[in-house]
Amino acid sequence: MIHAVLIFNTSGVARLTKFYSTLHRSSQTLVHQIFSLVSTRAPGLCNFLDAPELESFLTAQEADGEKLRVVYRNYATLYFVFVVDSAESELGILDLIQVFVESLDRTFENVCELDLVFHFDEVHHILSEVIQGGLVLETNVEEIDHQVQRAAKARKESFASANPLSLGSGVAGGGSRASGLSSLGWLTEKLAGVGTK
Amino acid sequence: MWERTLQDLIRGLRANKKDENKFIAQAIAEIRQEIRSKDMELKAGAVLKLTYLDMLGYDMGWASFHVVEVMSSPRIHLKSVGYLAAAESFTPETDVLMLTTNQLKKDLSSKPEDVAVTLNGLSHIITPDLARDLAHDLIAMLNHSRPHIRKRAVIAVYKVFVKYPEIVPYGITRLRERLEDTDPGVVAATVNVLCELVQKNPKDYLALAPQLFHLMTTSSNNWMLIKIIKLFGALSPYEPRLVKKLQPPITDLISTTPAISLLYECVHTCITGGMLQGASGNALARMCVTKLAAFLQDPDQNLKYIALLAMTKIVPTHPELVAEYQDMIISSVDDPDISIRMRTLDLLSAMVSRTNLQTIVQQLLSHLVRPDASASGLPSATQSLSQYQYRTPLVSATPKSTNAPSQSPAYRLTLSQRILTLGAADTYDNVVDFEWYLSVLVDLAYVAGVPVGGAIRDQLVDIVARVRAARRFAVQLMVKVLTDESFLANATEDSGCPEVLWAAAWICGEHCGELAEPQKLLPHLLQPGLVALDPEIVAVYLQAATKVFGYWAAEQAGTFELDDLPRIRDAVDVALERAGTFATSPDIEVQERAAEMVNLFTFVRADLAAYRPKADAGFDMSISLGAGFGDGFNEVGFGDAPSQDPGFPKSLYLIRPLFSAYELNAVAAEAQSLVEIPEDLNLDAWIVSPPREFTDHFEPDDVLEPKKKKSKKSKEKEHGPGKGKGKSKNHRQPDGGDVAGTSQPTETAEERAERERRKAERRERLRDDPYYLIDDRPSRSSSVNDVDSIPVVRLDDLPPISQAENTAARLPSLRNRSPAPQTFVIDKTGELPQGSGSRPVSRPVSRLNNKDDASSLRRSASPAVPPPSFPLYEVEDDVPGAATPPPIKVTRAKKKGSSSGKKKRTKTGDSTATSPLVE
Repeated sequence: MIHAVLIFNTSGVARLTKFYSTLHRSSQTLVHQIFSLVSTRAPGLCNFLDAPELESFLTAQEADGEKLRVVYRNYATLYFVFVVDSAESELGILDLIQVFVESLDRTFENVCELDLVFHFDEVHHILSEVIQGGLVLETNVEEIDHQVQRAAKARKESFASANPLSLGSGVAGGGSRASGLSSLGWLTEKLAGVGTK
Repeated sequence: MWERTLQDLIRGLRANKKDENKFIAQAIAEIRQEIRSKDMELKAGAVLKLTYLDMLGYDMGWASFHVVEVMSSPRIHLKSVGYLAAAESFTPETDVLMLTTNQLKKDLSSKPEDVAVTLNGLSHIITPDLARDLAHDLIAMLNHSRPHIRKRAVIAVYKVFVKYPEIVPYGITRLRERLEDTDPGVVAATVNVLCELVQKNPKDYLALAPQLFHLMTTSSNNWMLIKIIKLFGALSPYEPRLVKKLQPPITDLISTTPAISLLYECVHTCITGGMLQGASGNALARMCVTKLAAFLQDPDQNLKYIALLAMTKIVPTHPELVAEYQDMIISSVDDPDISIRMRTLDLLSAMVSRTNLQTIVQQLLSHLVRPDASASGLPSATQSLSQYQYRTPLVSATPKSTNAPSQSPAYRLTLSQRILTLGAADTYDNVVDFEWYLSVLVDLAYVAGVPVGGAIRDQLVDIVARVRAARRFAVQLMVKVLTDESFLANATEDSGCPEVLWAAAWICGEHCGELAEPQKLLPHLLQPGLVALDPEIVAVYLQAATKVFGYWAAEQAGTFELDDLPRIRDAVDVALERAGTFATSPDIEVQERAAEMVNLFTFVRADLAAYRPKADAGFDMSISLGAGFGDGFNEVGFGDAPSQDPGFPKSLYLIRPLFSAYELNAVAAEAQSLVEIPEDLNLDAWIVSPPREFTDHFEPDDVLEPKKKKSKKSKEKEHGPGKGKGKSKNHRQPDGGDVAGTSQPTETAEERAERERRKAERRERLRDDPYYLIDDRPSRSSSVNDVDSIPVVRLDDLPPISQAENTAARLPSLRNRSPAPQTFVIDKTGELPQGSGSRPVSRPVSRLNNKDDASSLRRSASPAVPPPSFPLYEVEDDVPGAATPPPIKVTRAKKKGSSSGKKKRTKTGDSTATSPLVE
């Protein structure tokens, strides 16, 4: 099972944290801890974080004492970190991270950190097409992308029908209210990933 | 009014980096307003912002109800916000969850988009209650027309199974059908789910094997294959036939697959399924290891990592195969990647044996040596001792040095602990050369730079107790440690190992017979710099100093000449002065030991001062003895021997007998449990009866009576061994001795009389009461309370004690005996060393403390575990019998017994167990 998915940038700022088990209670510490270890690793080292500093942290969480493993991958300014248990294959998870990033890329077109910053909810929606409740839902990028688009379209239509006056660009989340936002339209247009695609 | 959207919030955060807290406080205040709005859009916007802040670590538990409100919105773009917020913020304790059941049911029967969002959200927030209420809806969902929904339903059903296991028998058949789904994604998700389920309860899923087997042989989806192989790994231990069936396809996969992740799973399954046994199994194992070894050299670090993981799994069954690649593996410890190092450490620990322990430990130890010292490679203790002076303290080590991972404290700690575990495994079974291992321990104390001192101390003491042949070397080594000023200086730093000094002082004190020049060690044991150490360690130092002096003084007495006197005087003066400074220590233990030491040494000094080389010495001394020690001491026979003039100050023999009565030996872990409880000893009875209210009315005699008897009996028992114990402690250490002896519970005569009177009254009153049974037997209380009649006296008079006390072999290595047995006196066999060294090592310190209690342990009673054979060293082995070596008896006879002879006996017999309190 996958216990957590974390995305943070090279300065340690969390861009997405998703916990699938009760690791949750100390999420900030975990992110911080993993970041401090990951960020000091030179490129070219292996993608599995196995540090004595983490041992107590990861084993103590599980009642049955099963040790969790940290698999990470670095893309440009972002670290993608998956915390998994022994039911997952390390190398398989490494591939899964790739799948997730490819899905992000398809949605955002040349995904960069800013996309993740401003579309935190959208990233969650994409992630939910890859992983549900800690289990892998789909590993096929095509299929993931298809479902992401379909869900986005549904949200967009729903939003449009609820806000007939909107410009149809505020789909990124329920909270982006296009009405009264015209002055900021350039921003929403530029950044509302799926909507503008 | 202008409401911020999530985007505004994020931009605001980015713009207000300096004043983030203030900005967020303001934002949360706005959210609190907005979230109460009737406008669902606004509410949802607030919830989304809150979810974002939740990720940053701000609590949103207070908004749970509003989240439920947003979840219930009919509009998908709002609903998904609600479910996202719920998934992020709800915990099983969130109380509003129970409000959601109907909403969830409704959503599950809504449009497919709603269902997808609901299934996803539900997988996060599900609780046992929700699982129970929604189980049937979800299981029905497994047959949804859309594969996407089926996929999500499969995983949601798994969550239901976890939270509500009662539904599994019903749901599993429906889930099983999904293995034959037309959509490969649904099949993969189902395999995924089964893989999780099987881990918890393998037996229930054996029936799935044929279907899975079919999938395995037909699928080419690596992701799913990995899961299926994992599944079989969990199933095959429960179904032997499966192993045979699986072997061909798995062998096939191993030899053909280019994916190491799959290879790793295959290897793992082979091992857990026991497929590597037998001839074909061996071939398979060899193939695995060869493949893995190739990965070890792969430039891709990930492959190397996995290869190490897999090898660790193979080692237990096929160590010889992995051993072929030992050099390659050991070199991986040098890898710059700490993850690789950790895996390598695991692998090395698994493959350690007698032949390679030295190499491996040496290699690990070299990692702990600082770069500046590593040039010389650290081959021996002496070298590292000299190196140490140039060691830079931990703090100044640059974290960015080439050897960076080995500078991380946590890594150093792991490494140090690993070395210690490797050595101590199976009671040092893999250690061939103990002198080498002792050097390693000391080296480790020098270079570790992390607090592992406690473990090192325990091992040092343990080894010295168990391995006689290594004692001399150990003492030499410990002297080096004790005399090393820089070690003491560094020990008080955070990264030091002061506990090693504890061990060093203790070992030198206990085995002072092995010291080449005891007097030279004394100043080090009493140096003023000790105050920086932990009081516990200082106490051991003081005790050791007393022991060493006692040994040395006795040695001097043996070859006494008048010229020696000034030297001895100087030594006593120095010791007195130093000990005096500790006598004012705020720590009670240090204070007490120092005070005792001061008293002992004051007495010795007085004796030395009063010493006259010729005949008048005896008289003076008896006076000084009387003055110094009081009547008790005189009785024992130190003082009243004016006629016997030994020709040296008698007080030189004062201290050693206090310590050398017994040799400390390792005590078997089960020794205590083998101690027979004397049949009339009731351990549950009160030693001191709790104060009792003698209410005249409601105390039935038949209850009270036995209790009282018991308590008295136990008192009596306590009395017996208690005294014995007190004595034994007096042999060992003069300080703690009389605790047990003097604390006897007593009842004053008036109290007893009063109690008897009350009892008689009550009995009289109850005699005619039909509800009470009267004990008509005559009360024995009076006789029981007669202190003189209880066995203490008998025990004291037993001849074996005094005999045994005088028995000891001359050489420490031959000394093996404690006083002769008494029926159930604690001391005698408590000293019996355990029969073998292969028992689990428990904390040596506590073992030593226990020694007094571990009585009446017969050798035959301890299980005959054969000791691990050390070619060079004799591991602590029991030499039964040999209680009273004859030579001493001879001496004793010559000296014509009686009290006054004691001192001379000690002279000839050496290291006797004279107790000043016995006769």
